[in-house]
Amino acid sequence: MTKEAPRLLVVDDEVDTCANLSDILTDLGYRVDVAYDGLSALELVQQNAYDVALLDLKMPGMDGLELYRRIKQVQAGTVAIVVTAYASSNTANEALAAGAWKILPKPVDLSKLLALVGEAVGQPIVLIVDDDHDLCQSLWDLFRERGYRVCLAHDPPDAAERLKQRAHDVVMIDMKLPQGSGADVFRLVRRANPQARTVLITGLRGEMEQLVEQTLAEGADAACYKPFDVPALLETLENLTKHE
Amino acid sequence: MPWDKVYRLYSELQQYVGWTEDDARRVGAISVLIEPHVAALIDDFYAEIDRHPQARKVITGGAEQIARLKQTLRGWLHDLVSGRYDQDYVSRRWRVGFRHVEIGLAQVFTNAALSRLRRGLLQTLDGVWNGDFAELLATRQSLNLLLDLDLAIIENAYQTEFRLRQQRSDRLATIGQVAGGVAHELRNPLNVVQTSIYYLMHTPTPNPEKVRQHLERIERQIGLADRVIAALSDFARLPVPELKPVSAPETMKEVLELNPLPEQIAVALDFPADLPPMLGDARQLQIVFSNLIRNARDAMLPKGGSLTITAEPMDGEVAVMIADTGVGIPPESLERIMEPLYSTKARGIGLGLAITRSIIDKHGGRLQVASEQGVGSRFTVSLPSAGGAK
Repeated sequence: MTKEAPRLLVVDDEVDTCANLSDILTDLGYRVDVAYDGLSALELVQQNAYDVALLDLKMPGMDGLELYRRIKQVQAGTVAIVVTAYASSNTANEALAAGAWKILPKPVDLSKLLALVGEAVGQPIVLIVDDDHDLCQSLWDLFRERGYRVCLAHDPPDAAERLKQRAHDVVMIDMKLPQGSGADVFRLVRRANPQARTVLITGLRGEMEQLVEQTLAEGADAACYKPFDVPALLETLENLTKHE
Repeated sequence: MPWDKVYRLYSELQQYVGWTEDDARRVGAISVLIEPHVAALIDDFYAEIDRHPQARKVITGGAEQIARLKQTLRGWLHDLVSGRYDQDYVSRRWRVGFRHVEIGLAQVFTNAALSRLRRGLLQTLDGVWNGDFAELLATRQSLNLLLDLDLAIIENAYQTEFRLRQQRSDRLATIGQVAGGVAHELRNPLNVVQTSIYYLMHTPTPNPEKVRQHLERIERQIGLADRVIAALSDFARLPVPELKPVSAPETMKEVLELNPLPEQIAVALDFPADLPPMLGDARQLQIVFSNLIRNARDAMLPKGGSLTITAEPMDGEVAVMIADTGVGIPPESLERIMEPLYSTKARGIGLGLAITRSIIDKHGGRLQVASEQGVGSRFTVSLPSAGGAK
């Protein structure tokens, strides 16, 4: 729950389309940035953690699909809504498969678009700190499908960066990380964002037992063990975000 | 159908196979011998068709149609041994080939059918011959030559008609594709118009400057939409060009007036004083050059660059070169830029170049492109010169 207005990025090679969406969304109180091509958009994404990105698909140079894939690598937590004249194309479907949230056809139904933007910025944000990239992607898909926005970090310095960019609702921390431990990250979270709930995760139940107990005592909210009992994991997450 | 052309082809083939008046005389002479056996030949022919599902399925009219077809075959055989192989004969043979495409019979069956008739005719001839052996051999030879010539004409007709239909079908398919592309592309300007209207209707803080901006936006987008629709119409209706001498420098001047270029693009023109006029349709050539200049401009925006237009006479042609210092075209795109829907500019649907190429084709000219990414592109339009060969 950010106190500041949500940040939106609008990307379309048609300048007028960007201007119009910017006008409408700014009127509604959002902070809006625009870009007319993939490279400019990526530059902006490197600098800002956008809540939602509205992407055109067919653009010269980098198309919307390629752009989204790259945005996801830099900012996994940015929700993408694709707005395109080619809504039923293969590319549109590929965008969904890559993780884009919704596809809207042009001319866009603005009430629908605005409702979706509103919904997206209201979705809880989870930060997963784990060096297992595959696990991160699986959890991303799993949680995204259930309406969470998911940010990823793979080591403590990365996590520190992420924590500066957004106010996450839940942070899931793998206890064993390169360049530090999960306990260190936990303390980072405490300092950067005391409101965030924390879930400790580990696959090494025996080895990590003591550290987990200790960190729970310091105030961590829950511990989940790999391989995950998925329903239990989801329930834990739901409980921790229920107060929204 | 230019029957004289077809007859000329037939005469050439006659020469090629060594056909003489003697051959015609010999075949004409067997007519009276063959006549009593024609009915049997025809019945056998259709009995065989009956045994082949592929051939049989083109006969959709039942017994009535078969009766009519037998009559036609009778006429065909009659003509075959008439001894007279003039333009009339040839045009009737051609129609047979055409007819077979019309009814959807595969060409292999036309060939096989003729072969069966040949066999039947020769067997009949052998059976009823009552002259000397040498003359029989010569007559058989003549009959074979005649049937070979018939086959050549029928095949030629078949292929010509087939190709025409293919072209028509390709063209319809392309128009279909293009219409699909247009439908999609129109959604973009409509989207801008819609969002501007939404803004104007919902904004809590209307200020005159913003309102004006949005209204101008709507106007601009309607113009873009109209261009897309016009491109489709042009594409669907490219008329036959009216060829007259057209001055390249004058056309280029008109085109540059119609398509003013922003100041960041420097334009250089170089036309030799003795450049012959191009042979073409002035209005269509305007479309060609407008399109190429607009593409050059788009490749150089927003930074700018230089546009160089030159021309030179070459061997009965006038070659006009339009070179830019823009982003260039990636190698994999060079092939594809001539296809109607391909476009690296999201807001064009690539019809421009397809129309350009189509016009140049109909003028009997050539379009070539050389390009290097990051350096620029050069399009060369070669057209026949009105002065004739130099």
